[in-house]
Amino acid sequence: MILQKRLMVCASAIGLIAGATAPASAAPWVRGYVVGQYEYAFRYGGRPDFARGAEIEPGVDCKHGASVHFANDTQTKIAIARQKYRSQKEIDWVAKPPGLDEVRAPVLTRFWLWVRAVSYRGYKRDIETYVNPWAAEDPGQPQVTSRIGDGFNLDGKIKPTDFVSPDGERGVDNNLYRAWGCDAPWRGNGNATLALRANDKMQDGLYTMVVRVSGNKDPMNDDNATLEIGYSPDKIVKDARGSVAVDYSYRILQSAQYTRLKARIRNGVVETEQVEHLHSPRIAWFYDQTGDANFSKGKVRLNMSADGLTATGLLGGYRDWRELYAENTFAQNGGEQGVREHEDHVALYYALRRNADGMVNPRTGRNDGISSVYRIKAASAYVVDPENLAMEVPKLVRDEERMQSFQAIKAATIKGAENRVPQLVPPGTMEFGVGATEGLMNGLPSADFFMSTLYRQHYANEDEDGYPPWMQEYKKHPEGGFQPKKPKKPAATPAQEPKKPQNQVQNGDRVVADAKR
Amino acid sequence: MFSDVNKDFKAKTGDLMKRGIAITLLGATMLLAAPFASLAQAPAPPTEPGPQTPPMVAPAKPGVFTATKKGPTGYHLVVTGHSFTSRDAIEHYLAYRAATLTQEQKNSWFTLTETHAKGDTVPASKPDPAGLRYSFRMAYWRPMWRTKSAGSPAWKSWSPFSGAAFPDAKSISDYEVSADIVMHKGNMNDADPLAFEAGAVDDWLVNQVSPPT
Repeated sequence: MILQKRLMVCASAIGLIAGATAPASAAPWVRGYVVGQYEYAFRYGGRPDFARGAEIEPGVDCKHGASVHFANDTQTKIAIARQKYRSQKEIDWVAKPPGLDEVRAPVLTRFWLWVRAVSYRGYKRDIETYVNPWAAEDPGQPQVTSRIGDGFNLDGKIKPTDFVSPDGERGVDNNLYRAWGCDAPWRGNGNATLALRANDKMQDGLYTMVVRVSGNKDPMNDDNATLEIGYSPDKIVKDARGSVAVDYSYRILQSAQYTRLKARIRNGVVETEQVEHLHSPRIAWFYDQTGDANFSKGKVRLNMSADGLTATGLLGGYRDWRELYAENTFAQNGGEQGVREHEDHVALYYALRRNADGMVNPRTGRNDGISSVYRIKAASAYVVDPENLAMEVPKLVRDEERMQSFQAIKAATIKGAENRVPQLVPPGTMEFGVGATEGLMNGLPSADFFMSTLYRQHYANEDEDGYPPWMQEYKKHPEGGFQPKKPKKPAATPAQEPKKPQNQVQNGDRVVADAKR
Repeated sequence: MFSDVNKDFKAKTGDLMKRGIAITLLGATMLLAAPFASLAQAPAPPTEPGPQTPPMVAPAKPGVFTATKKGPTGYHLVVTGHSFTSRDAIEHYLAYRAATLTQEQKNSWFTLTETHAKGDTVPASKPDPAGLRYSFRMAYWRPMWRTKSAGSPAWKSWSPFSGAAFPDAKSISDYEVSADIVMHKGNMNDADPLAFEAGAVDDWLVNQVSPPT
């Protein structure tokens, strides 16, 4: 009897406690966010106060610091000396072009000369390297050696090579971090150059990503919530200090870059289910790279602040590593980005390949995917449905052809890697500095040597300067610096319209094809 | 190798010196801004680089390649021939066979077991976990050699670690190059300089090698 009473008292007490922690209200709720920062979830391990020495910020992530390729003539020399068909003279002269001080822009001339040289490092002189990275020897890439990494346990296993999350979760799969975490333009404490560039372009209107969380209980604790993630056709609104402004409205398109996931919320942390395909916008800094990221076995974790103003989180899954390679390499062209950012895409290709850990291809038996985690930081917003629910992602009409060229070069890269047949560089790109390198040889005494020694692919209908047809407009463009022989007097023209604010990323004005805003 | 356009092209370098200096500005603009032209016209369809048939290495004649099992996942590989082409070509063929055999055995990477002897002057390779990681480093593919000179019945051994010069190629009438490898599954230990990712080695060499004779 006493026991029975005690049990009743206990049960009542548990009921009261449960009642006390239950949501104050149980009504439908929605929280929306616009993403202001979107980048690879690479955990920086260097000291923020590090003064640069011989190595670039060594840390627990990368013991010798960030990788550095093509940063000086010694490094470039090593890269091109691997090809046995080059003469010593060619190697020496590419590394230190003779007579460089006789040209008007020595740094630029050397830059584009290096672009040309490092774009051809295959086992034969005429194989373009960035489209055919498998045909070049692996130049080597440092990898993350730390055990701590952000992400998810995507495969449900705890393996010796897995990362441990900062809060102690074991079995974290994030091999993209392992492979590329020491790559200079992606490593930093909020200042990695390509992360900054991508975020800058996103905030300037290249694309917008939104998240909407909804439920029926308490926004901070709801075991039957929904998280939607997707593309918005509305540009990010900034406040007077240049930050992402809060509480503006954005439409979310239920298009190719959209996913709706079931979620549970505990103390403001939204944890979604793992779905076969998680579609969301890609990280991009040029229009040609934009599109669907398509994570396999993807999921999202979002930490919403109690005041609802901000959220931070992770989004991850397995991504096709060939697509990751192409997205990082061909925004501009492999040589240009490599020499400028001091990264070597051939090394990055092999790093992805050997760290691939998911999406087994039943035909080849190989892993086509690599566990990848992206980090997001978001600000409060009204995320609403568009009037036309079938609205598609708008197209930038002026850059659509460039997008097609990007897709063609990406397809050629994947085809070559699968068939092991070297592919040509499709037309429409500026791969291997086509045109630009020739133009910058002016005044260089060793120009004849370089032009006759360094191989490049040629296209039909190139002009006498070596510019293919798709470079002609650029060549004539006044801002491109090509001076007409006889300067014409400016005709009386109507006053030019002022440039629009937030004119994005040198890509020209956004042309919304199927929606007027 | 590729299109006629490439074959016919002759660099017009004579004109280059006369070009306007403004082209430098073009390069500078392109460096940081738009990556290429604003495409006033649609690009032409890509030119096909010849046949797209996946490459295949011709089968070796009997006795040219042998693989003897050595332990649970190890193999002793030997390539034998008479016509010496080059050290690189023959060693690359051996590496290619190591890579294909590894894949045939449902493994993904292999390690080379270096053979060192007393008196070697070339140091053994050492792992550097904090240094660069590789899928393969052909500089570390250092198999052992035995050669016969024309008119001499005796085999002579040559080790890449001995410090001695490689035998005179012109005098080689018979040769035998060998390597001991151990195969592995799963993600490779890319901190080991003697580790080779079989698929990557296969891809890189498949268009380059042919069986010795």
